Amino acid sequence: MSLSDRIENLLMSVQKPVRYMGGEFNAVMKDPDGVDVRYAFLFPDTYEVGMSHLGMKILYHAINALPYAWCERVFSPWVDMADLMRRDGIPLFSLESRTPVDQFDLLGITLQYEMSFTNILEALDLAGIPLRREDRADGPFVICGGPCAFNPEPLAPFVDLIALGDGEEETIKTIEVYRQWKAAGLPREAYLRMAAQIPGIYVPSLYDVSYNEDGTVRAVTPKPGSGAPQVVKKAMVADLDGAVYPEKLIVPYGEIVHNRIMLEIFRGCTRGCRFCQAGMIYRPIRERSIPTLMRLADSLVSSTGYDEISLMSLSSGDYSCLPELAHQMVERFAARRVKISLPSQRIDTVLTDTLKETQKVRKTALTLAPEAGTQRLRDVINKGVTEADLMRSVTDAFDQGWSAVKLYFMIGLPTETDEDVLGIADLAGKVRRCYFSIPKERRAPGLRITVSASVFVPKNDTPFQWAPQLDFDTVVRRQQLLRRALSQLKGVDFKYHAPDVSYIEAVFARGDRRLADAMERAWRMGCRFDGWSDQFRYDLWLKAFEETGVDPDFYATRPRPEDEVFPWDHLDCGVTKAYLLREWEKAKRAECTPDCRKGCTGCGMKRYPGACEGR
Amino acid sequence: MRALIRFGKQPRLRFISHLDLQRFFQRAVNRTGLPIAYSQGFNPHPIMSFGSALALGWTSEYEVIDIKLSAPMGRKRTEDAVRAALPEDLPVYEARMVDDRHAAPMALVRMADYNVTLTGAAAPRVIERIPAFMALERFEAVKKTKSGEKAIDARAMVVELSPLPDGFSARLMLTERESMKPDQLIGILSGLAGVEPPEARIHRVSLLGEDAQGRLRPIMEL
Repeated sequence: MSLSDRIENLLMSVQKPVRYMGGEFNAVMKDPDGVDVRYAFLFPDTYEVGMSHLGMKILYHAINALPYAWCERVFSPWVDMADLMRRDGIPLFSLESRTPVDQFDLLGITLQYEMSFTNILEALDLAGIPLRREDRADGPFVICGGPCAFNPEPLAPFVDLIALGDGEEETIKTIEVYRQWKAAGLPREAYLRMAAQIPGIYVPSLYDVSYNEDGTVRAVTPKPGSGAPQVVKKAMVADLDGAVYPEKLIVPYGEIVHNRIMLEIFRGCTRGCRFCQAGMIYRPIRERSIPTLMRLADSLVSSTGYDEISLMSLSSGDYSCLPELAHQMVERFAARRVKISLPSQRIDTVLTDTLKETQKVRKTALTLAPEAGTQRLRDVINKGVTEADLMRSVTDAFDQGWSAVKLYFMIGLPTETDEDVLGIADLAGKVRRCYFSIPKERRAPGLRITVSASVFVPKNDTPFQWAPQLDFDTVVRRQQLLRRALSQLKGVDFKYHAPDVSYIEAVFARGDRRLADAMERAWRMGCRFDGWSDQFRYDLWLKAFEETGVDPDFYATRPRPEDEVFPWDHLDCGVTKAYLLREWEKAKRAECTPDCRKGCTGCGMKRYPGACEGR
Repeated sequence: MRALIRFGKQPRLRFISHLDLQRFFQRAVNRTGLPIAYSQGFNPHPIMSFGSALALGWTSEYEVIDIKLSAPMGRKRTEDAVRAALPEDLPVYEARMVDDRHAAPMALVRMADYNVTLTGAAAPRVIERIPAFMALERFEAVKKTKSGEKAIDARAMVVELSPLPDGFSARLMLTERESMKPDQLIGILSGLAGVEPPEARIHRVSLLGEDAQGRLRPIMEL
């Protein structure tokens, strides 16, 4: 029986068989004999999550534009399917051609979130690929990219290459170099050495790590004679407007998380929020022009049939000509019944006109992220918004007919006090009063305010990389403090989570190579889909740390001295450690740094040719 | 003007639910570039309907979708445009242009033809029961409905039933009041044979209605 038939036989017995089906409109099919390089792109989470991810769509398109390569998608099978696959000896397979993953040349994996790391081990195991690189004599090279690639050290023994920064060009280079390597008939290790010369590519096995007596890193140095660079600079696409972008998107059958056209209007962010890793590692800011965006939107609407375009970026309100873009989009697409939506609204940009534009077609829920409850703490994190900004935004929105507002906050930010946390409830109360200040006949009925408070995780490559994560008990106590305060407010919902996942996330975010054993142990004990609350097993994680001699507090809650060498210091994310340290010092003084469009803040990006041009 | 499109559902896509297929077609018709008629109201959607819902896991070569157009279009252009907007596993077989007074396919359907393939050790014993079942005058079965259970004459719902080497072909009633699904029939035959229902692949071959003379015809020809 063919592998495809054996897969089919399982589908009647699993939840959501559509996840494993493939055959979607615009999925790329090629003749396997007509290509030289077969690339499996693994998103280590479910189909619904992975298919909502823009980066995967861009790289799928970029690789498949090469006549000699075929990129196929792979997602983590949900636990029910994974168990059946093991029972029946069915290997992890690609969606397009249902080819076993171990038969591919390259296996690209995106690292979106630390809590998907065990899914990578699970995927390798399901594919029949030995977990540890040194145990692999053949099979695909494992290449990881994405935001977590800037500290990939906990994954170091499992991967061959790490791709830092923008993937559009460097991914193609890894494929080209693979072709050269294959044509030359060289041994397996030779590919790693060749790839180490590609801008943005880090080869962990070519580096030695030494440690101090206190357990901190002494140095990470290239192995003598390896030719690997001392510091690996990230890959950067200087001209985003000219960069490859899909004009066709796969249209899934079932519902996925974000089922719409995603149009990336710019990359990077100039705000400099100190907690935000994306705001640091995706610098500099690069915009697509309005004509390019209009052309892409036209093609995408025609090729997908979607009725919604989401204007994506880290902070879409900051697009330099947003009113003009929104106006043109609405004008072009209203007759075709295509809605225009703006995610990640900022509070301090002028929303009203854009809101009016988008409202013409559809009223989306207003989501705002003040992040902290008091001005002092917002200054610490450099959020750069004031209470007045927030009140103006929500009053405008309520006046325009919105009645649902979601407010996002974090608990456990550096220097936070009980007063800061109670400030969240105070702010929610003021938002509520804004709604009631609008005359009844003008406002939409049914006020809904949702306050979400996540637990802050200090991340590598941010000014808060020196900060300890707030201890577990204090987080729980402050969550309850806030819950009680918010329960006094009618029409306000409070969403929060146990801090256990955030704690494990914090361990891995600033982890080193010594965590690899703990990760593998946790996976062997059954940890997978750790980002899913119904699968997450805190007890197993603690047991794995204990059995492998790892003190998780060393990574999560330990304050780090300013001169500490970090496990990721040899990976250059664009902004310099000196800049991050300056920002950390300013944070402790609650001092703001203005948006760098108002003047260069010396983050280090200008070291990259073509970055920050004209600024 | 309306376009009646007959399409198939290949094995690869048999797990798309009817609801997901409806959503899929809302986007697919947008891709056709045809002048699609939209409903009025706050959230307009394309005006279209299906001949009959296909259960999850079944395949078909006779699914019919009825799409309302806001301007006249040629049959061939319409057929080509829909074909281009669908993946190869939803093949388009034919298109027919009808005017707005034409009855909805859903209202025309009286019966459906199926081919059923059975696998497993119990399959031959189930197939063996077919002549005995067809020889019955009446077969009382319990049908679950929204308001509870009611007794039906299952034999009367089975218009034709012929054994095949690895399954059977069947013509079954498919109206709102009288209907029988192939998996129910497999259940009944298995019950008669005293075995657990074997694994089945169900494939719809045709949807049938009656013409003005009361003769059975595939609904695309009515």
